[in-house]
Amino acid sequence: MAHVPFVPLGAPREQVADDRTFHEQREELLAREETLRARRAEVFAGWGEKYVARVHAKGKMTARERIERLKDPGARIFEVGTFVNHGLTFGGKLTSPAAGVVTAFVPIHGRYCMVIANDNTVASGSWWPQTPEKIERAQQMALRLRLPTIYLVDCSGLFLPEQSRAFPGATGAGHIFKMNSLLSAHGVPQLAGVFGDCIAGGGYMPIISDRVYMTEQAYMVIAGAALIKGAKSTKITSLDIGGPEVHVHQSGCADARVPDDETLLVELRREVARLPGSAIEFYRGGRGAAPPVHPPRELAGLLPVDHRQTYDATQVLARLTDHSLFWELMPDRGREMICGIGTLGGLYAGFIINRQGLVDDPDHPGRRRPGGTLYRDGIAKISTFSRACDSDGIPLFWLQDISGFDIGAEAERQGLLAYGSNLIYTNSTNTTPMFTVLLRKCSGAGYYAMAGMPYDPVVQLSTTISRLSVMEGRTLAIATYNTRLDDNFEIVSRDPEERRSIEEGMAAVSRRIEADMDPYVAARQMDTDEIVELGELRDYLQALCEMAYQAPGHRRIKNPRIWTMHDLQALFGAG
Amino acid sequence: MPRPAAAPEARLATAPLFHRVFVANRGEVAARVARTCEALGVTPVLAASVADRDAGYTRGREVCCVGPARAAGSYLHMEALVQAALQTRCTAVHPGWGFLSENPVFAALCESHGLTFIGPPAHVMRMMGKKTSARKAMKAAGLSLIPGSDGVLEDLEEARRIADEVGFPVLLKAESGGGGRGMRVARDAGELADAYNDAQAEARAAFGDDRLYLERLIEGGRHVEIQVLGDRFGHAIHLGERDCTVQRNHQKLIEESPSPALGPEERARTLAAAARAAAAIGYVGAGTMEFLLDHGVLRFMEMNTRLQVEHCVTEARAGVDLVAEQLRVAAGHRLSLRQDDITLVGHAIECRINAEDPSQGFRPAPGRITRWRPPTGEGVRVDTHVEEGYVVPPHYDSLLCKLITHGEDREQARARMLAALDAFVCEGVPTTASLHAAILSSRAFIDGDYDTRTIPGMPVLKGSSGS
Repeated sequence: MAHVPFVPLGAPREQVADDRTFHEQREELLAREETLRARRAEVFAGWGEKYVARVHAKGKMTARERIERLKDPGARIFEVGTFVNHGLTFGGKLTSPAAGVVTAFVPIHGRYCMVIANDNTVASGSWWPQTPEKIERAQQMALRLRLPTIYLVDCSGLFLPEQSRAFPGATGAGHIFKMNSLLSAHGVPQLAGVFGDCIAGGGYMPIISDRVYMTEQAYMVIAGAALIKGAKSTKITSLDIGGPEVHVHQSGCADARVPDDETLLVELRREVARLPGSAIEFYRGGRGAAPPVHPPRELAGLLPVDHRQTYDATQVLARLTDHSLFWELMPDRGREMICGIGTLGGLYAGFIINRQGLVDDPDHPGRRRPGGTLYRDGIAKISTFSRACDSDGIPLFWLQDISGFDIGAEAERQGLLAYGSNLIYTNSTNTTPMFTVLLRKCSGAGYYAMAGMPYDPVVQLSTTISRLSVMEGRTLAIATYNTRLDDNFEIVSRDPEERRSIEEGMAAVSRRIEADMDPYVAARQMDTDEIVELGELRDYLQALCEMAYQAPGHRRIKNPRIWTMHDLQALFGAG
Repeated sequence: MPRPAAAPEARLATAPLFHRVFVANRGEVAARVARTCEALGVTPVLAASVADRDAGYTRGREVCCVGPARAAGSYLHMEALVQAALQTRCTAVHPGWGFLSENPVFAALCESHGLTFIGPPAHVMRMMGKKTSARKAMKAAGLSLIPGSDGVLEDLEEARRIADEVGFPVLLKAESGGGGRGMRVARDAGELADAYNDAQAEARAAFGDDRLYLERLIEGGRHVEIQVLGDRFGHAIHLGERDCTVQRNHQKLIEESPSPALGPEERARTLAAAARAAAAIGYVGAGTMEFLLDHGVLRFMEMNTRLQVEHCVTEARAGVDLVAEQLRVAAGHRLSLRQDDITLVGHAIECRINAEDPSQGFRPAPGRITRWRPPTGEGVRVDTHVEEGYVVPPHYDSLLCKLITHGEDREQARARMLAALDAFVCEGVPTTASLHAAILSSRAFIDGDYDTRTIPGMPVLKGSSGS
């Protein structure tokens, strides 16, 4: 059967959680999201008012103002990498909010574009440690989704006191230009607007782009006037050396000159309008975008902040998919995992999520075991489903709340290492776009097996309650003090002094791990792409799904008639 | 009485349509839809609950029992209805009106199982079902709105600013609201903060969503609505307006067309804008845009993305079978009519006759009909599922029939209705026929001197509707 047999999923909030629990959990979560908003605002402010005023005094816009002007009116942008370098200082006491560059998915004339904009309110847009990596990550996203890529260049070059951390390595600044080249080689349109200082790296970045615009304040140089002998006595400025007069007319390194920021942004919008349109409407096949019946805002309140408390994972899916409709595949096997198809913005998407709470143990009828864990059947199921999504070209969304693989003698005897490796092979060789969400806990090999960052999801999102680690703090404390503990992980020693020292030691281990699990740490070091509010998760997923269908012709997208999914339904379907 | 040249059924007869259509409704609605299906050579299969499966209107028709008398287990049970439609080899589902007819999930569910939902696309239903998205779409399409916020309010400050702009009194409404909950009136600036906070608290408690929007409160006014039809080719037309100002507790009692209160310029302007708006949002099938006639201006309130009870008023004037057009466009055909083909003739009035006891505060009065003689005569149409011996079940609304009269002008239509009401015989259960007769013979009705707060010919009732 070629139809996609959806069924309604989920229940109204009142039937899922009583008012008190819901509001308590909601308050607890919203407090964390308040912090998220405050930290975002802090990052968005760059180095602050003084630097914004300095940009404005030059008759220029800030990076974020440029993006605002570039996007479709009323549309929202989806930023990634907001917290790269968050909380770090360089060269003494300097911070680099957002690593000095804004990377965001921006709708322009109805097409999502990847916009990479040097933040001219942070050290004149210079490149910090991890700035190249952040730009390259954005380019990688654009490459994999074939999104038109737009550089808003206003960059005074590397932040030289830290040059050794941003220049020489495999992902050093020069790799940006390799990514420029790869994007070009794969037919991804690139546009560049040059707004100001573009020295050295900043000078190279625009050149590979298909269209390069310069404002009258912009110059691109391998080295600025400061390094040119005799420049001072002859009063030669960088603008004389590499301004539009040179590059538009003499060198040909740029295509067109425009008077100011405003005009340049209008030109860029016009360029995007000239590109072929989006294929999203085509792949919707007559379906339109429709929000879930059960409000996504209720996710805040339904997910307990305490990672040890359970919730109903189907209620999460019901707050993400269009019309809260879902087609679950292989529902009776490996019930600790739920996998199936829904639509996001009218486009087919695959979902894999961990069921929480107790599930039946198929190996021991009558017994129950905790969900949120990878057992043999569940691994086999999601591996099969992942491969089917790849075969059918369905973008795949991994929603992690996983404490890891099952362990113990029986698990090893069953060969979970091999089942897990098969899953890892599947995910590693998939070509369909995969996106990962760290809903809550994502521990150990579970994080790997469910397409965590090392498995190259196109984008990985965290929430304010994500906990990313090899193991939970208490587990590591047990492992560390293993020789001092009994079978039940209780301290063996009766000596009060020794007991106290072990207790303190274990608590210290737990605390340190707890601090490392902070999603801002992951975001700071680019172990995750963005931290989002639960209430905006659906918007992000819808946008990502739309991007996965925007560019036709570069990846397999099968129509539902010829889906492998139907084979799974025929073999494993209920009844 | 003059009619447009060719009966639409004749043109449709040659066009292949669905072989079997599942009617996911009951009573008068099911009977109405089935009648057109049969006229077009399409086999209707009626969904029926245990309470309805032996009712007279199912006789000689295919019926599939879909669940218990309680609507939640039958006429509102999406999955059971889809299953029934598939099992009875239907290829399309007509939702009628009421029940699931405006449920976009049901539409999406039907489509995903290969059943054509006879109505607009699910996402259009969803968009028009939410207040602020519908307002945005209609504003963009050029309709006048009740002045208010463009979307949900950011905070109390924004509420203040907009209230000052549009003028008091204002109404604060919950974005996810319904049934009057999360709604507060502020009569002046002093009341705004309390109204805002109360509405927000109530909305949060009731819907888990405390977003509010604001509109100027329009008291009184007349309820006027416009019938539109669209096809999948971006073509949409209007079929004139209906005036449904005579209401009791938000329930429409009497509908007529044309509206006796609407000026010709505003009528022409809004009718044209409504058709353009329907096309602009990609509307497919039959739909109704509801307006409040406020000092001569039609202000958009909401859109009903379905056929309505009172569609017969429009059918009488336009000579168009709206159900036939619905089937036609659902099957992917073009509308059989262009705007120029529509000639609206004379005046039509509809009375909804319910099994209710006017002496008991209009309490529904289910029971057995012992004698049943519906009226006949020139310009009289009766839509009903009732026959002698029918038992009005207690589980659903208590509509017995709709009487529609058509005349050359309002006075003739009114006289015919009064005659029809007089000739109508129903024994066994009390009906609202006498109420209708009293309204229609009142001076206020004749003069058109009433608004939504008053029932012509009746003393002002407590709890009768505002906007």
